[in-house]
Formats: sequence, C-alpha cells, structure tokens
Amino acid sequence: MEVTLALLKPHVVRNTYAMQQLKSLIGSNFNILAAKELRITKELSECFYADHKDKFFYHRLTTFMQSGPCYAIILQSELCIQKWRRLMGPTKVFNAVYNEPECIRALYGLSDTRNACHGSDSAISARREIAMLFPEFDIGQDRIGAN
Amino acid sequence: MKMLILKMLHGVKTASVRLSRQYTSKAKRSVLLQDQKKVKNYEPKTSDAHTNRVYVWGFQETGALGLQTNVKKAKERYTEMVHHPTRLQFSNNNEITDVTAGYGFTVYAVKRSDGQTLFGSGLNTDSQLGFQVKGNKKDPANLDVIIYPTAIQLPREQGETDEDMQVRCMSAGRAHLVVVTQNGTVFTMGHNAYGQCGRSIIEDEVYTGSSLIHRIAQTDICGAEDEIVAVECGQDHTMLLTKLGRVYSCGWGADGQTGQGNYYSAGQLTLVGGDIEKERIVRIACASDCVLALNEHGDVFGWGNSEYGQLDDSPDAAPQICTPRALQLTKGIGKVKDVAAGGSFCMALNDQGLVYTWGYGILGFGPFVEQTSKPQHLLPPLFGRNDFSNATTVVSIGCGVFHMGAINSDGDLFMWGKNRFGHLGVGHKKDQFFPFKAAINGKVLKVAYGVDHTIALCRPHL
Repeated sequence: MEVTLALLKPHVVRNTYAMQQLKSLIGSNFNILAAKELRITKELSECFYADHKDKFFYHRLTTFMQSGPCYAIILQSELCIQKWRRLMGPTKVFNAVYNEPECIRALYGLSDTRNACHGSDSAISARREIAMLFPEFDIGQDRIGAN
Repeated sequence: MKMLILKMLHGVKTASVRLSRQYTSKAKRSVLLQDQKKVKNYEPKTSDAHTNRVYVWGFQETGALGLQTNVKKAKERYTEMVHHPTRLQFSNNNEITDVTAGYGFTVYAVKRSDGQTLFGSGLNTDSQLGFQVKGNKKDPANLDVIIYPTAIQLPREQGETDEDMQVRCMSAGRAHLVVVTQNGTVFTMGHNAYGQCGRSIIEDEVYTGSSLIHRIAQTDICGAEDEIVAVECGQDHTMLLTKLGRVYSCGWGADGQTGQGNYYSAGQLTLVGGDIEKERIVRIACASDCVLALNEHGDVFGWGNSEYGQLDDSPDAAPQICTPRALQLTKGIGKVKDVAAGGSFCMALNDQGLVYTWGYGILGFGPFVEQTSKPQHLLPPLFGRNDFSNATTVVSIGCGVFHMGAINSDGDLFMWGKNRFGHLGVGHKKDQFFPFKAAINGKVLKVAYGVDHTIALCRPHL
C-alpha cells in the first residue's frame, strides 16, 4: 500500500481541540505507521522546502515552521497521497474557506502560510520527506506500491 | 328666555347627579378598594450595578467564550458552537472595561475591589493567559484550556497600586497578549518565537506552563515625553501607538508586517519609519498580516501582506510591502475616520459614514466571493438608516481574519463575511453575504473580533 507523510503545523499543535479532531480523523482514514512530535530546525525546513526556494513566501514558510513543535505522521492506505491531500483541501486558506469549507485547512488554517498541515505531493517526495523527518524509519518495508 | 337657560342648567345638574351615581353597594365598594391596594405597581427593572455587559458567540470548544463553569456539565449540554449572541455571566458580576480576542482565547479588563484587573479564558497552551495551574503547589497540573474567566496575575513592582495596574489598553495576537497599564507599563505574555512579546527570541523555548510575563516601561520604548495610547497585535506581531502619533513594532516580519524595511523577526520594539515617519498616526488596525494606519488628516497608510491586492493594485504590485507607504487606492474616498484590516481584505469608514471594503472575500456586495482592489461603499440602509431614522450612520468598523463588522450610531452591530464556527452570531452556520444585524440586547460599545469567535462589550438600553 501507498505511504505518505502528513505534517501538522505549529499553530495546530497548540490548539488542543484541533489536534484531537485531526488525530481521530486520521485514525479513522489511515493506518498510522509512525508518529512523533518534532521541532523543525532552520536547516531541516530549508531542506524540506527546497522546491520553493525561489518563491516569495519561502522565507515566510521556513520561519513559520520553526516557530514551534510540529507533529509528523507516516500514513498508509490505498491511494493515501491523494486521499490525504483531498482531506487537507486547497493550499490557500483564504480560497479554501469558500471553495471547500469542510476541509482541514478551511477549519483550522489561519492564513495562506498558517495553513494547518502539509502532505507529500507524490510517491517520490513522500519517500524523500519521510527519510528526512523519520531517518530511523525503514521505508523499504513498505516498498510495495510506493513506486 | 331666562327661564329656558335656567331649565337647561337644571338639566345639566340632574345629568351630573345621575353620572356620579354609584352602581355598587357600599360593602362591595370597600372590597374593591382593598383589591386596588394589592395591585402591584410595575416598575421596569433598569440596569444592574455593573452597567457594561458582554455578549459572546462563535466557537466554544476552546473555552474562549467562558460560558461554562463546569467541565462535566459542559459535556452534558454539548454544543460546539454558540450561534446567537449570549450574555456572559462573568460580566454580570464584574465591571468590564475592555475586551480583546486572540485565536481561541479572550481577555477582559476588569475593575474590582480585590485588585485583580485582568481576566482571561480559552486556550492557554502558550501561556498567553499567564501561569494557570490547579491542584496542590507541589504537583501542579498545568491548564491548557480555561473554560471560565480566570485572573491573570500581573507581576508588580514594589509600591505599585491596584490603580496603577488598571488596564489602559490591550490586544491579543494568535498566541500572545500585550497589556498596557495605567502607569505606562507594557506587559507581554505567551508565544515569543518571532519576538512578538518584545523580548529576545530564545531558540527552543517552551511556552507551555511558562510563568514568564515580560515587563517593559514605556519610557524605555518611547521616552519620557511621549506615552503609549493604543496597542494592536496582528497574528504574530505587535504594534504600539503613542500620543505623538508614532508607531513601534516587534515580532514576525516575514510579510513585512512590522514595517521595519526588512522581512526579519525582531524581539526589540523599534520605531516604524517609511511614509509614516513624519505623520501623526491616530489609529492602527491589523487582524492578521496586513496593516492599515490612519493619520490625523484622514489619510491611509499600509504595509505587510498584500497578496490579494489590499495595498496596491498596480499590475506589477509586490505581494509583500515591508516599508509603510501612503495608499493610492484609498485616495478617492475622502477623509477617512476609521480603518480595519483582515486576512485578505481591508475596510475604511469615511467622514460621511460610508463603509468601504476591498480585497478578497465576502465584501458585502451580494452573493459572491470577490476580488477587487477598488474600494466600494456599502449602502447606508444596510446599516439601519431608513425614513424613520434618517440620521443613523456608521460610527466604527472592525474585522477579524475572515469576518467584518460595523457599529452604527444607535449602537447596533452589523456583521458579514465567512461564518467560521458561527462567529457571525446570525443563528446559523451559513456565510453572510451582506451586513446583518446581530441580535444583542444592548448598545454595542466595542467588538473584539477573534479568529473563530466574537465578543461584544455593550451598554444596556435602559
């Protein structure tokens, strides 16, 4: 089965009610292979968001990710990359609140950067991101369908 | 002739005798008189001893509404949202002078005989409501969520009186709180990862269960000849406004919202320059990352996030502005009296009492979510003006990250925008596309717009 990385961003981790809701939502939709609270350092966030290096919001995004502990989860299910991205909703919170008012970002996002959560966009980036945040996790054991 | 008049007079006399004739026996009459004494005289109950009252509505799970006194009971009558403005019991027992709302928490400035001046309820995961524990002192359990307003202890220096500690002004951000007291001391508490508390950023600082409340003397910020008159917090930054019209800022600058000419985070309160350097600023407004400022002549200035064309409508406009600039797009709307800036939209009120909105979102013009950089005004009848109250006009405006509001001269509050967790108070969950009057039993004085809840400070009608 497919695996993906879900990352709950700092402001959501501080909201006890949102965390509780998201954990139960994730629990009922996916297999959780690993989960941990972690601090994203400057180096890690710059590496994690290397794709966005030239965007105007790059500095905003990386400083935001350092502002407090995040909660990282490895999810597993059929087509879980798409499934998790559909649950999250559009990246831009100010659009999401009108276009998909029931999605996670519309409910718990505060602005386009404080958008509640992250999900890998492809099998390749899922592998890359899991390797980065869970170096101890052996991704080989779930190779089936990962490529 | 004379006879006739006499006869007529006689007729009148007999008629009056007949009119005063009693139709009940004497005994019965005395019973009726007794009953009359028993009829209670109705005297309408006027206001309570504490004149100001507070109405709250929106998302309740964080405890920000402070309506529940007991966790067990709250679970029995489970309601995640409060759709209608509801009177806060705490305001019946306390004289509340000011309110402010952050993300999932609310703070009240209170006048009390026991010397407490600040109360708060809601999320406390970053100690934005101070150090709150329960249980015994040896093994305290930290409180992440406070469901009923609880005293926030401001650390006093020797000789500081209760009067000194009364709140002059205050504002709450996403997870921090800034309070200025009567003696000109700035107290900050909560999240400081961006320096929004006006102190140095400590890497990996733990904010949960922190008892740290930072004190700054206003003379250290603006000198002895000036004083702080207002404070405004964005989500993750802080701005102080002084009597001489200067603005000082600290905190997250990644969108340019600190107006310091750079995009860094700063833990030191610093004077803001740019186009407002020589202006006497009288008001600053910011709910998220876009800032509007107003000078004494009614000109509008802005800085920070402009991704939705809030500050600049030119084709090559930058999405972020880190140096304050005089806005061109508000030039045509006359002298501005009040401003408000939300997450993706802005508002202005001119001296004619017209409310202008622009940016992206539900701007109040009908059943669309729209984007425009041209300020357009909403029609006065939407805010209570009609043939019977011709003089009714909007006196102040405000907004949260997703919703807007306006108070008119009758003390009525009108709200519109995204109805996140019922924080418009219209009685349902649907978005509101034009201004709609909130059902509040009182004249609204001030509104604190949170991210998913709203608090109104009111005066009774009588």
